[in-house]
This record gives sequence, structure tokens and C-alpha cells, in this order.
Amino acid sequence: MNIGYLIKNNIKLMLRNKWIIVVMILGPVFVIAILSSAFEDLMKSYEKVDSFYVGYSVEQQSVFADYMDQIKVAGEESGMIFTEYPEGDPEELMRKNELAGFVEFGQDRYVLYQSADYKIEGITLEYFISRIVGQAAGNILQAGTAPEMDLPVEELEYMPAVDSKDYYGIVYIVYFIWCGIVCISGVLSSEKKNGISKKFQVSPISGTNLFLSKWIPCVGVIAGGMAVAILVCVWMFGIKWGNILWSILILLLSVMAATAFELFIYYIFNNLAVTIVAVFTVVWVMGFVGGSFETYMFSSIPEGIKKLSPIYYIDRVLVEYSCMGESSYTGSCILFMLAIIIICAAGALFVDKMRKGGRA
Amino acid sequence: MEDIILRTTELTKKYDNRVVVDGLNLEIKKGEIFGLLGPNGAGKSTTMNMICSIVRPTAGTVNLLGKNPWKQKKEVIHKIGYIPQELAIHGKLRAWENVELFTSLYGIKGNKLKQTVEESLEYVGLLEKRNEFAGKFSGGMKRRLNIACAIGHQPELLIFDEPTVGIDPQSRNFILEKIKDSNRNGATVIYTSHYMEEVEAICTRIAIMDNGKIIACGTSEELKRLVREDGDDITLEEVFLTLTGKRLRDYGE
Repeated sequence: MNIGYLIKNNIKLMLRNKWIIVVMILGPVFVIAILSSAFEDLMKSYEKVDSFYVGYSVEQQSVFADYMDQIKVAGEESGMIFTEYPEGDPEELMRKNELAGFVEFGQDRYVLYQSADYKIEGITLEYFISRIVGQAAGNILQAGTAPEMDLPVEELEYMPAVDSKDYYGIVYIVYFIWCGIVCISGVLSSEKKNGISKKFQVSPISGTNLFLSKWIPCVGVIAGGMAVAILVCVWMFGIKWGNILWSILILLLSVMAATAFELFIYYIFNNLAVTIVAVFTVVWVMGFVGGSFETYMFSSIPEGIKKLSPIYYIDRVLVEYSCMGESSYTGSCILFMLAIIIICAAGALFVDKMRKGGRA
Repeated sequence: MEDIILRTTELTKKYDNRVVVDGLNLEIKKGEIFGLLGPNGAGKSTTMNMICSIVRPTAGTVNLLGKNPWKQKKEVIHKIGYIPQELAIHGKLRAWENVELFTSLYGIKGNKLKQTVEESLEYVGLLEKRNEFAGKFSGGMKRRLNIACAIGHQPELLIFDEPTVGIDPQSRNFILEKIKDSNRNGATVIYTSHYMEEVEAICTRIAIMDNGKIIACGTSEELKRLVREDGDDITLEEVFLTLTGKRLRDYGE
């Protein structure tokens, strides 16, 4: 059967819910405007720096002593050349040797000196040392010794030179995409309240077509709304999307995956209010883990947990497109999105079949 | 032999331990207007839902147009027009858009669909209101639109589940006339209601249902004769009272 008329009328229903469309378009614009200015200074630290020199001294019984060789290697890979200065005043050493920073590793603590002439390098060094100390503290607490340490070199490698407008301009478009269920809430509510879903059961439309008749218009309306939001943000804030074609593909896949996921949740609960609460909660957690609030580069959340969030993959790929023009995460992001689309669509159809088959 | 369009055998529905429909045996012949009369909670809508394959029976069988609607849904569904008790229309769609949406589900498209939409709206007297949003319609107009959404594919069997609830007398008379009209045009009608006078006015046969069971079935005259041999000067309300020991209004209607 032809579901074109059903899709067309569902699009009309969605577009006639004007307030929701306005919120979907203006919501990201407002959030991006607020967050990008609020984090402007912090995000300056993301600017890429050339190699710089760091001095250090280590006390004899320091818990860091066993790690110094690894710290130096990791630092070198991240553009920091560590040189030991066993004696001398740190501030004077920094001035004399043009050091960007100096670290005094004590017994179980450290003191970090940053040069006023190397602000960005100082922030990068601070981030690097804090990561190392966190890692070392974890190792010591777990093992009680100083075993081989896995330094966060990988995380430093993907510290892109992105400013706050670009970062939040991208991640909040992604975040709002995942809140797209609100676009189709009017249709779902009307179907449930007026017994239309029951009437569909006494018609030749299949469960698959019924799912598609919601999924396709929802994808279309969210994609359209987000396209407008993106254009407004580009015009207002000059957000750079980098690789345009690949960004569009990733965004489109994100819309498709988010819609499939949200409809799946709706099919499970069969209750719009519960669905919205559940979806917003899950999306908030995925956003929290994936870099929607705290930037994924500086987030203290373990990498393994970040990788559970689809928003992390999308944010990372799009941010890297913006500042580097490419991303090694593109493949895994596409696979993740496709997996969500397939699993959620199949899950929704399965739940629907079970519910209809055994309807009490 | 008369064609049987619907036969239910020991049709039963239980929710937990509560029996809502209890071993229902029904036979509805082609060309009838069959009335299912009973108070709210008697099990009428559940029976209709089982016949339409919305609710799966706990026990028993349904034979609809010679098929099992649960196993051969595709083969029978085109022949049914279901008008649910709820106003199954979108308030934010115009009248014609609602009819288009539901009629298109039956594979009708293009110019044929346009023509069918016009005819359906004209049939229920809403052609002039075709461009108005359904949400702005009165209760009676919504009921009529609900019917227009179910008749476009010209079904053999029309199932009306309490189609006159909460509407004014004029709209009620209009709907009853249209039901009789559909029947004259060849459709078999199953009509559930708790309004005795409506059922008596349009139905060729009536089944009285209470507590999930059919307690009597026949023409209006046959039912009246169950209570008094000559069947004169007696109403269906009195028949119901005699057979169930309760008045319909005792149910708080």
C-alpha cells in the first residue's frame, strides 16, 4: 500500500504544531549563544600549540619518581619537552630558560608554575599533568604500587583547536536532534487520545508501514528544523562545520538513529509522557558522557564510558571535521548510527507485533 | 441458505479473572442491520474489538466473511468499515485531510482518492465544511466525519460502535438515516448501542447483552414476545428489565 498520504498528513500535523517547531529551531540557537560565550575563555585552551619546554624537579621519595620516564615520553608525544632542573628557583629557571611551565613533584603532591608569556601552553600543561596525576593516583590506589601506567596520550592527540562557538554550535545541534521526539509528540498524542491507533489495526496498513509513516516524517521535520537552526547559527555566530558533505551525512544519520531510538522507546512504553521523560533522561546521560556539557576532550569521564554514548561519536566526528577537516571516528560513528537504526526499528516492530498479538 | 457474514463460537474474553465476554455465540446474516444492545460494561465494545481483530479472544472463534480475521486479516480487512466509539480523527487536520488519510489506507490514490473523499464528505453532509479543521467541529459533525473516514473503500460490513454518544438529536437522526441508507446500498451493519429506541428504530435483529452474555436475540417483535405473548404495548426497556432484572438507566447512563 501507498503510505505517501499518511506521511504527508503526519508532516502536516507536525508542522501545524508551531510552538514545537519554534522551540526546535530557536532552542539550539539560544543554548549555543549562551554556552559559547560562557565558555569562550576556557575553550581558548583548545588552540593547538607548537612544542614547548617544561622544567621539572622530583623529590627522592616522590610517588611520581617511578613514572618520570613515562611522563617524559608522553609529554614529548604531546609536544612538551620535559627537562630536569634538580636545583634552583622555578620562576627564575622559567625566565632564564624560556620555559612555558615548571613542575615540582613532591612526596605525594605537585606544584605547577605557569609562565605569563605562555598562557595557552600553561593550560595544556595543566591539563596534561592533572590527567597524569589522576591516572597515577588511580594506579596507586588500585595496586598499592607503581605499576606500568597508561598515560592519556591518546586523549591529548585529539585536543582539536576548536573555539567555544564552533564546539557548542555543533554539539547542541546534535543534542537537540536527540530530543526530536517532541516534533512528533502531537501526532502520537492525537493517535492515542482519539483511538486512531485502534482504527489503524482495522485497516490494511502493516506494522512496518505504520512505523515508517511516523519515522520518515519525523526524520524530515527534524532534519529541516535543524537545517534552519544550523543556517541561523552559521549566520549569527559564524560556526565552521569543516567537511560539509560528511557533516551532513553524519547529521542525517544522527537524525535517523535518534528518531528510531525515540520511536522504539514509545513503542515500549506506549505512553507519550513516560516516553518523553525516559528519552530526555537517556539523552541527558548520553550528552553528559558524550561532551554536550563538559567538552569531551577535557572530560574526566573514562574513555570506555564515553564510547558507550552515540552522542560522543557524533560530537567527536563533527568537531574534528570542524577543526581538522577529518576524523578517524567517522567509520565507527556511521556503524554505530546504522546499528541504532536497525536495532531500534526492528525492536519497535517486534514490540508492536507482541502487543497486537497478545493484546488484552 | 442465507449468507452468514459473521459467526462467533463460544467467544470469550477474560481480563485476569474477570470475564468480560462469556461464551458468545452469534450469527449475523448478509444484509442485516444487527443491533447489539446493552448497558455500558456489558461487553459490547470488547466483542466488536475481538471481531475486528483489535483484541485477541481468550477462547472461542470468529468467522468473518468466511475467514478467521486473526489468521487471514489481509483478506477480510478491506471489506470492513469500523467506526469506533472514540472520535478517531485528527483535530489538526482539515475534514478532507482526515478522510484522505483513512481512505488512502485501503490503497485508493490519485484522482480516485480525491473523488472518494468528496463523495464520503457529501454522504455525511460535510462537503461544504471540507476545508475546516476537524478540531473546530461540533460533536455531531465529528461523529459524521468519523463515519466518512470509514466508508470510502465501500466496505461490505460496517461496524458502528456507539456512534451517537453525546450528540444532538438532529445529528443522531442524520446518522441513523445514513446507517439505514448504507444498508439499503448493500452493506451489512453491526450496530452497538445502549440507546433502546435507536436500536429498535433501525435494526432488523437485536441481541441483548448483559454481563458478557447474550441473554436474548431476535427481531424486536420476537424479543417482545419473550415477555408477553402478543408482544403489544411493551417496550424494549421492559424486555430488558424482565430479562435482566435491571433497567438500563440503573447502570448510571
